[in-house]
Amino acid sequence: MAAEVTPVAARPLVRPRRSRRRKASAFVRYAVIVVVCVVALFPVYWMVLTTFQPEQDSITYPPDLLPHGIQFSTLTSLFDGNPIAAWLLHSLTVSAVTVVVTLIFAIPGAYLLSRLRWRGVGPFGFLLLFTQLMPGAMVVVPELQFFRELGWTNNLLAIGVLYAAFNVPLGCWILKSSFDTVPSEVVDAALVDGCGRMRVLYRVLLPLSKPGVVAVAIVAFFGSWNDYLFAAAFLTNQSLYTAGLGISTFISDQTIKLDQLEAAGVVFSLLPVLLYLTVQRHVVRGLTAGAIK
Amino acid sequence: MNAVLDLARGAVARRARKPRTSPFPYALLAPIVVFECLFVIYPIVRGILLSFHETNFGVTKFVGLAQYRQMLHDPIFWSSVQTTFEFTFAMIAVWLSLGLAVALLMNWSFAGRGFVRAILAIPWAVPDIPVVLTFTIMLDPNFGILNRFAAFIPGVHHQIQWLSAPNLAFIAIIIMVGWKGFPFFSLILLSSLQSIPDELYEAAKVDGAGPVRRFRSITLPALYPTLGLLGVLAFIFSFQQFSLIYLSTGGGPGTDTSTLAVTIYNQAFEFFNYNYASAVAVVGLLLAAAGTVLYIVLQRRVARARRLEGVNAAL
Repeated sequence: MAAEVTPVAARPLVRPRRSRRRKASAFVRYAVIVVVCVVALFPVYWMVLTTFQPEQDSITYPPDLLPHGIQFSTLTSLFDGNPIAAWLLHSLTVSAVTVVVTLIFAIPGAYLLSRLRWRGVGPFGFLLLFTQLMPGAMVVVPELQFFRELGWTNNLLAIGVLYAAFNVPLGCWILKSSFDTVPSEVVDAALVDGCGRMRVLYRVLLPLSKPGVVAVAIVAFFGSWNDYLFAAAFLTNQSLYTAGLGISTFISDQTIKLDQLEAAGVVFSLLPVLLYLTVQRHVVRGLTAGAIK
Repeated sequence: MNAVLDLARGAVARRARKPRTSPFPYALLAPIVVFECLFVIYPIVRGILLSFHETNFGVTKFVGLAQYRQMLHDPIFWSSVQTTFEFTFAMIAVWLSLGLAVALLMNWSFAGRGFVRAILAIPWAVPDIPVVLTFTIMLDPNFGILNRFAAFIPGVHHQIQWLSAPNLAFIAIIIMVGWKGFPFFSLILLSSLQSIPDELYEAAKVDGAGPVRRFRSITLPALYPTLGLLGVLAFIFSFQQFSLIYLSTGGGPGTDTSTLAVTIYNQAFEFFNYNYASAVAVVGLLLAAAGTVLYIVLQRRVARARRLEGVNAAL
C-alpha cells in the first residue's frame, strides 16, 4: 500500500482516521479472541472450580461464577480409601504399552507407504484406512469373544496391544507425511553411500521426523487413555480398572461428593492436557507436516 | 578413489535397473499385516459370522438372515439409524462451522497467537469422562450453571431438564461433542488457510473487495477440498462416538439419543443379544465403510486437482 508522504509541517494535527479505525479494529479483534477463549475454556474452568470449592457451593442455586472458599483438601483426600491411584497406574501401564507397540508397527508401516517401492501399496493403504475409521462399537463384540477365548480379558497388556492395533493405521499416515517431507536428496545420498534400507530408516528418516514420531505417540496415548468402550467390555475385575472406567462408575454413585468426583476428573485429565501442552507444537507440525506457520 | 566410483556406479546402476521387487518391503510388511489381520480383520469376520447365528442357552446355531429380518422389523433399530444420521449431519455442520470460525480467528496475527492456539486445543486433550462429568454438572436442572445462562434466553421460564427432555438431550450432546472435537478441525483448516497465497487477498483488496466478499470468493473456494475431506472425517468420527453419548444420557431418554453405537452396546451388554448386536454392527460397519470409500475417492480427487494446480497443501 503506497504511503502518502506529506512533509511533517504540513501534516494535520488531528490523528488521521485510518489509524483510529485500525486501532478500533484491533480492539475488536482482541475482544473477540478473549470472548472465544473464555467460552471455549469455560467447561475447563468449571471443572477446576468444582474441584476446589466445597460441595455445598457447587449445588446451591443459583450457582456463582466465582468461588467463595477454596479448599485443597479434596485433592489430598482423593487418594484415601480410594482405588484411584491404582487405577491411574493401570491407565498409565496400558497407555505405555499402546504407545510402544504402535510405534513398533507404525514406523516400518510409514516407511512402506512413503519411501519403498513395491506392489500393493494401494490395498495396504486401504486396509489401514479401513481399520482406522472403523467405529469401536462395531467390533467390540467379536473382539470380546476373541479375547475371552484367549483368556485375555482382565489383562492390561492385552488391552494395550488391542488399542495399538487400532492406532497403527493413523500412526502410519501421520509418520508417512513426516517421512515425505524429508528431502529425497538426503535419502538418496545415504543410499548411494551404501546404507542399507533399514539403516536409512533409522539413521536418516527417523531423526528428521521427530515431530511425526511425537505426534504418533501422543495420538496413540490419547487413544488408549481416553477409551471407555473397550475397557468397560474387557475389564470386569474392579481392581484392574483403568482410571476412566473407574471414574465413570462414580458418576452414578450418589454417595460420592461432587468436589471429590471432579477432583478425580481433574487428576485424570492432568496428564493428557499437560502432555499435549508441552508437545503441542510438535504434534501440530507432525499432523500437518509442517504446513502451519 | 576407484572404489568410491565403483560403489557409486553400482548404486546408481542398481537404482536405474528396472527394480525386481526385492523381498525387503514384504519382510517389513508381513508383521504389520499379520498384526492387523489378527486383531482387527479376523474379529470383524467373526462378527459378521456371528450375525448369521442364534444363541439359545449356550447353543449356537446357524439361522441365516433371521437376525437381519428381526432387525428390519425392529423400530428401535430404525430410530437408531435415524438418530445416527441426525447426529452425524448435526456434527458435520457444527464441527465444520465452528472449526472454520476458530481457524479464521487463529489465522489473525496478534500477540500471543501461539498461546491462544495452544489453549484452544485443550478441549480435545481433556478425556471423555471428565467432559461428561463436567457437562452433566453444568447442565444439572437444579444447580447447573448453564441453566443460569439459559434464563437469559427469552421464552425460557423454568429449570431446563437438559438431559432428560427428548430434544434437549440431543442438543446437549451436540454441544458437548462439538466442544470436544472442534480443535481438530480448526487445526487442519488453519493449515489449509495458511496455504492460500497472500497475493490473492492483496489483489482483491486493491480491486476494492471487502472482507465478506474476499471470504466468499477466495477463502471459501480454496477451502472446498479440505472442507469436503473434513466433512467425511466428521461423518466417520460421529459414527465412532460412543462414550460421550452413553455416559451422559445412556441413549435416552428412552432411545432418543441412541445412535447405532449405543444400540449395539445396549443389545450386547444389557440384553446379552450378542448375535443381534452383531447384525446391527454389520450395518454400522457397512455405513462406515461407505464413508471410508468416499473419503478415499475425495482425497484422490483433491490430490489430483492439487497436482494440476501446483498448490502446496497439508492434506
